[in-house]
Amino acid sequence: MGANRPDFAEFYRRSKDECLFTVLLSVGDRDTAQELLAEAFARAWASWRTVSRHPAPAAWVVRTALNAHVSRWRRHRREVPLADPGAIADRPTAGEAFDSPVDPRIMAALLRLPERQRQVVALRLFLDLDTARTAAALGIAPGTVQAHLGRAIAALRADLMPERQKEIPS
Amino acid sequence: MNDDDLITLVREQRGSVEMTTPVDQIIGRGRTLRARRRLPGVAAGALAVAAAAVLAVTALLPAGHQAGRPLPAQLTAWTVTRHADGTITVTVRQLRDPQGLQRTLRADGVPASVTFFGHEPRACQRYPRMSAALMAEVFGGHGPPLVIHPKALPHGVGVQLNPMHHPHGAPIALAAGLVQASPGCTGP
Repeated sequence: MGANRPDFAEFYRRSKDECLFTVLLSVGDRDTAQELLAEAFARAWASWRTVSRHPAPAAWVVRTALNAHVSRWRRHRREVPLADPGAIADRPTAGEAFDSPVDPRIMAALLRLPERQRQVVALRLFLDLDTARTAAALGIAPGTVQAHLGRAIAALRADLMPERQKEIPS
Repeated sequence: MNDDDLITLVREQRGSVEMTTPVDQIIGRGRTLRARRRLPGVAAGALAVAAAAVLAVTALLPAGHQAGRPLPAQLTAWTVTRHADGTITVTVRQLRDPQGLQRTLRADGVPASVTFFGHEPRACQRYPRMSAALMAEVFGGHGPPLVIHPKALPHGVGVQLNPMHHPHGAPIALAAGLVQASPGCTGP
């Protein structure tokens, strides 16, 4: 394995922003997402001989970053359940929760998707994985991927274009 | 707008953020990780710390109120109680008034940063020497309520409180961690 690993540098340049957006969708904080992703890319470099042969190296990196996020929560936080999670005041819009120039309407709509649908959207639309690779990455059947994507797009359409929904005769 | 247009619109969002970490920095860290993998003792030690640090949550509010102390007449969003032994109990029922909770904790001598929504202050830096043992000393039992032992805080270390979100988005727990104390994070 060459020390310079030019293919890794190209992979990083090509996929870093899409991966960052995908991780940002899950962790909600840009600095945290970038920190997690930097570590995940470093692990990819350290195991590049294996990762470069992975059918979807970007998905490997994203998954590694998200696994690290879960581990970090467990290791570094003391968690105490809220008495009444439903009784929450002054909940901000998604735009306030993200320090990035994303469209707050679209980000809010994405965040409202159930987790599995959001994962499918992230892998299919943001990382450009095909159905089979998305299914393999998530450990679900290809048909389930398509079903989740269909529901996600319907939900996004209803969320982002409610007025157009009303125009469609039933 | 058809489905393809909608997908294009959503896809355009991924170009709205940029990963700014230089590739040389990534590779430098990668070299460190690879070198560390060749030291099996280090890896095993890290795993042991991670396993020991997994924290369980076993009860629900408000059952954890201190025995012998009257319940508040009116349930407020949160309650901070300072006890004779110096420990501080934090009971959070609703995610309201984080600034008030932060002020109260600071007034009780706990360098604290409380964020219920949005970002943690950029000035807040995680305490690099975090360990399961230190967490147990500072935060005592597994709550709820959250118990803070201010005397166990190392010099220059503060407490950070923010909500932990369920994967579906709703906050379900209050998470406490340790940060480096600084005026911009935990107050003067």
